[in-house]
Amino acid sequence: MAQIFDRSSNALARMSLVLTGLIVIALGVTLDQLQRSPWVTRQGQRADQPVPFSHKHHVTGLGLQCQYCHTSVEKSGYAGIPPTKTCMNCHAQIWTNAGLLQPVRASWATGESIPWIKVHDLPDFVYFNHEIHVNKGIGCSSCHGRVDLMPLMYEENTLQMEWCLSCHRNPGKNLRPTGEIYNMAWQGPSQDKPVWCGTAGVKDGVPTAETVSCTTADPSAAGAQVASLNMLPAGFNGQTTASDAPAQTIPASLNYVKFTDQESLGNFLTQQYHIRTPQELSSCETCHR
Amino acid sequence: MKENAEGAEKVDSRRDDSVDLHSQRLDNNSDMTNETSNGRNNPVAIQPAAAKALTLEQARAKLTGKTGKKYWRSVDELADTPAFREMVEREFPNQASEWLDPVSRRGFLKVMGASLALAGLSGCTKQPDEPIYPYVKQPEDLVLGRPVYFATAFPFPTGAVPLLVKSDAYRPIKVDGNPEHPYNHGTTDAITQATLLDLYDPDRSQRILHRGEVQEWAAFLAAFRAMASDKKASGGTGLYILSGTVTSPTLAAQWKRAQQTYPNAKWIQWDPVNRDSAYAASKAAFGDYYDAQYRLEGADVIVSLDADFLSGIAHPGFLKLAADFAGRRKLTSSQEMNRLYAVESTPTTTGYKADHRLALKASEIAAFAAALAAAVGAPAAGANSTWGTAPQQKFLTALAADLKANAGKCVVIPGEQQPVAVHLAALAINEALGNAGKTVVYTETVNPMPSIQGDDLRALVSDMQAGKVDWLVILDANPVYTAPVDLHFEDALGRVKTVAHLGSHLDETALLAEWHINSAHYLELWSDARAYDGTVSVVQPMIDPLYDGKSAHEIIQSLVDLPNLSGYEVVRNNWSGSLGGGDTEQAWRKVLHDGFVSGSAFQPKTVSPKVNGLPVAPAPGEAGTLEVIFRPDPHVYDGRFANVGWLQEVPKPVTSMSWDNAALMSFKTLSRLGLAEQDVITIELNGNKVLAPAFAIPGHPDDALTVYLGYGRRNGGRVAGGLGFNAYAIRTSSATLFASGAKVTKTGKTYEFAVTKSHYQDHRSPSAGGDGSGNHSLEGNEAFTRGIIRYATLDEFKKEPNFAHEVADVPEDPEPTTTMFSNWRYDKNAWGMAIDMNSCVGCNACVVSCYAENNIAVVGKHNTQTGRIMQWIRVDTYFEGDLDAPRAHFQPMTCQHCENAPCEQVCPVGATVHSPEGLNVMIYNRCVGTRYCSNNCPYKVRRFNFLLFSDYETESLKLMRNPDVTVRSRGVMEKCSYCMQRIVAAKIATDKENREIRDGEVVTACQQACPTGAIVFGNINDKESRVAKLKAQQRNYGVLADLNTRPRTTYIAGVINPNPELDAARREHASANS
Repeated sequence: MAQIFDRSSNALARMSLVLTGLIVIALGVTLDQLQRSPWVTRQGQRADQPVPFSHKHHVTGLGLQCQYCHTSVEKSGYAGIPPTKTCMNCHAQIWTNAGLLQPVRASWATGESIPWIKVHDLPDFVYFNHEIHVNKGIGCSSCHGRVDLMPLMYEENTLQMEWCLSCHRNPGKNLRPTGEIYNMAWQGPSQDKPVWCGTAGVKDGVPTAETVSCTTADPSAAGAQVASLNMLPAGFNGQTTASDAPAQTIPASLNYVKFTDQESLGNFLTQQYHIRTPQELSSCETCHR
Repeated sequence: MKENAEGAEKVDSRRDDSVDLHSQRLDNNSDMTNETSNGRNNPVAIQPAAAKALTLEQARAKLTGKTGKKYWRSVDELADTPAFREMVEREFPNQASEWLDPVSRRGFLKVMGASLALAGLSGCTKQPDEPIYPYVKQPEDLVLGRPVYFATAFPFPTGAVPLLVKSDAYRPIKVDGNPEHPYNHGTTDAITQATLLDLYDPDRSQRILHRGEVQEWAAFLAAFRAMASDKKASGGTGLYILSGTVTSPTLAAQWKRAQQTYPNAKWIQWDPVNRDSAYAASKAAFGDYYDAQYRLEGADVIVSLDADFLSGIAHPGFLKLAADFAGRRKLTSSQEMNRLYAVESTPTTTGYKADHRLALKASEIAAFAAALAAAVGAPAAGANSTWGTAPQQKFLTALAADLKANAGKCVVIPGEQQPVAVHLAALAINEALGNAGKTVVYTETVNPMPSIQGDDLRALVSDMQAGKVDWLVILDANPVYTAPVDLHFEDALGRVKTVAHLGSHLDETALLAEWHINSAHYLELWSDARAYDGTVSVVQPMIDPLYDGKSAHEIIQSLVDLPNLSGYEVVRNNWSGSLGGGDTEQAWRKVLHDGFVSGSAFQPKTVSPKVNGLPVAPAPGEAGTLEVIFRPDPHVYDGRFANVGWLQEVPKPVTSMSWDNAALMSFKTLSRLGLAEQDVITIELNGNKVLAPAFAIPGHPDDALTVYLGYGRRNGGRVAGGLGFNAYAIRTSSATLFASGAKVTKTGKTYEFAVTKSHYQDHRSPSAGGDGSGNHSLEGNEAFTRGIIRYATLDEFKKEPNFAHEVADVPEDPEPTTTMFSNWRYDKNAWGMAIDMNSCVGCNACVVSCYAENNIAVVGKHNTQTGRIMQWIRVDTYFEGDLDAPRAHFQPMTCQHCENAPCEQVCPVGATVHSPEGLNVMIYNRCVGTRYCSNNCPYKVRRFNFLLFSDYETESLKLMRNPDVTVRSRGVMEKCSYCMQRIVAAKIATDKENREIRDGEVVTACQQACPTGAIVFGNINDKESRVAKLKAQQRNYGVLADLNTRPRTTYIAGVINPNPELDAARREHASANS
């Protein structure tokens, strides 16, 4: 009786075994990639907003400061979405007939909110708090990216748990002087652009800004300049970089240390800002309750 | 399979004789939504451990042979019936983990839909777009995400509760006591906590109705003012106003002004639970109405004559009394511990807390009081020196001796639900012992218009019957439901030309009124009220009226010269003159900010009562005649909170019963009447009948039934509908407190309760520390053998301060090194809790506070019966000793946050883990619902969402939620988190300031609500913290700590202070039994 399967089917059988394995692996990899893909995370997607608001125009073009609109970012968990009133402060005077602004004028006239679509949307069981991040040296751009270069707002990062944890397990890599929080172009210290930080000694019970002073201009070059650092034009696109502290609270004779890389600055700030340990920061109750 | 079949059979047989107590029950629509309608009585209820055949003799037999401290949780356990054994074989009582609900086609589709969604890719799908609706004009001082706190007060007939309300984006989300107020210092009670849900109750009346048609407020005002101008000529003849007890000085002032124009108009106050006895006694003794304020901080001996001053605000002055009582029992001050004697009818937490308790029928208390008065030398004509049985006489003699020895340092408190004679006796005793001015002072009344409400209501009804009433304005009262049955209020209402009703719900009265005006909740309106000490609080709105409700001020103002003033203007104008000189605006703002007018507390009057002989107390009925005692329900009060799911669901103190009332009686009476628990009986009293299920409670006097008011609502709302029976149906105007001569007949039907006292079972093998038989409740079995309850008398404590650690048969707590797991290190904070068993009075304030803070779902009666109740903290009651005269211990039980947590080690998905600060945290989004953790928890404090209990749909309930706590969905385990959201908020606030969290900066919700300060929370690494100091006491012990769980919550062992003379008798009794 002839064989139903000839010898070549052995190879086919082996191949199909291998193929099955490969398909299973491929399926796993696909699913794994899928749940990290922009389709799920919405990373980089521009939502269809009622008004095509351009952060680029308002921040880079006009020089509005973040807190002009996001007023509660330093004092509350929510950064705050501006009320229609904030828009109308200017747009009652300029572009009063622009078609794009029709929803804003309608909101102002009817008292109905402008129905924005949330771009940075965390699941409801995750509790993120802006206030503590901003006060402890995490800048806007660390999470939101170069908002000043975004004509339409999109999500720069995935906002997935692995992304949160990557920083909570090693917060030093993203810390910056609190005076640079709103500096969209901040890139950390380097050999070309070192950062000098000085402290008035570690004190408990006072806000960080009153004990630590950082500057991007060499303080040894001109001691008196420290006092007027606030005014110094620096950074990108003519934005000013504020010093950490009101000049009068920091003695001029601080011991400034020069930092040329993020790691050493991160370590210094972790200590100065009393950043909790990675163990504490990555404990579940930090974000889930 | 066999078990299932049996279970199914049981369902069927139960269904046959299950009975509906309501002949007039409304038709249900079957679409249930959680907090609104789950409460409906479900006819197919699974039976928790019926102990049908238990007789008193059997129970006694169980108790004999047990020496000394033997604890039990329920009689089922004592009886050890097969049904009970069957129940405890399971992890959860009954069939909590199985689907036994009647499945409708619609419900089936709903569940299957949900399952399919779960089975699908719900974990992998993307979230839907979420909109953001920013303000158009944001209020200037609003920081979204930061709560704001406003001071106000909750007006209640017995005096206002001063409050500080947490408001998130101007939505009130938590109601707590005002910490700066001199009366309550930040404490609250269960009812006040639950008024939050009352505000967001979706069943609230939302419109003004005229003969059932929606009408405008202006139309009502037009009609009302037309009547008012017509009546001017006659001085208001025919205009009657019927309200609940008035607590607002402004309302009283408005009425005073209106009376100038309408001298013949009448204002009647009626609350079914009122202070008539106290006022009548005061009128008789002083010639005027006064309130008695008891100063327990100076009292060494306290006697309660049926005064339940430790279980809730139904007793006037509760918050201060409870705090002062507990203050003298913490053993921290140099002052000696106080001693409480309770002579009471219905068992209450006050009686169970007492060092000595004597159970008497309500009608016998007057005789006891008169005898006591005679014994201490007060004028007491009605006293019968040969009163009582020998043990009762012994009690009386010892008590009288103790009182005389502590003259001027003792106090006798009469019960609000006792007749005038008892109040007069208390006045006479306090006067004779020189307590007046020391432990009791007399002040003007909190009620600005004190009256004898029962008499007034009777007069009103006779005027109504006579056709003299043209307009009856009913303000926040529900007389059709609450009026004594013999007055036939409903019929009389038909003879009134126009009835206008202001009320929060479309209740029994609203449906019969021509006009119904939806009232504003107290969190929505301007008013004022006095706390029981007299301090005035301004009630300010926390939120714009959700349904444009109106207040009594706005209606009564129509009778005054400036009819269009708003509630705000009325209140403001009333106080503008009396806030002291200087800047009125400044003073007013200070009052609103502080929440009270400082220095407005009543000054004691220099009056002394003249009690010229007590009225002869009625001879107690012959043995065998049944007495019915009417009591306000500990939670729903007179029925006004019947639609509040939190209050319905939280098991009531003493009975551990939720969702129902019952005919409560002693075990002896139960067997004498040939009844078993759950039998439905007909109570016939003076020709009126009501169907009620029987329920026995330890310590109830024999030959008496207690019925709680407030149930059997016809039109109470979706939650209240179909629950319990209406005790008002047998309450007549001549006997509103208690009545004798009741006849009880058995109907042969049964009714199922939701009683939680035996819900938490233990069935570990002997090798694991259990007794292996599995037929005990966890607590009852182990309370004794494992030292869950530890207490000593004051003398024993003085001799052996370390008594809490020298419990026979209980192994010492193992050393921290005896574990195969490495120990945790806590460098900074280590959160812990200490609960003082001496201070806890079992009032349930903590439980309701926890519901509000942690978004806990209400599951309904049926699910409570099957053991699915979701509360994170419960108050366990342990009975000890004799069935008729038990002692009870209250133990708040919640997640112990073990350092060696058994739950953490068995979770397969890491959903419950240990935090660096020692919290045992629950990660909902990781939980897959294996329930291993609950299985492995020795304290049975974990709660599983067997069904979708959280209401995600009802709009008004969304406003109520705490935004800082996840609303849990189906299939997720949850438990106490030590109010982690508050810890994290404190950490963020202090991290910003680069400092450590100070002691007292984190307060848990249960701690905040506790009226006696029994719960203390804090950082145990900080040796100066209050909690660390408490834990350093020798009385500190951990429950089941010998399992090496190392609980972070520990208990401070109780110390009681019995009278040595009576205590000896107790011991003899105990040894005779053994």
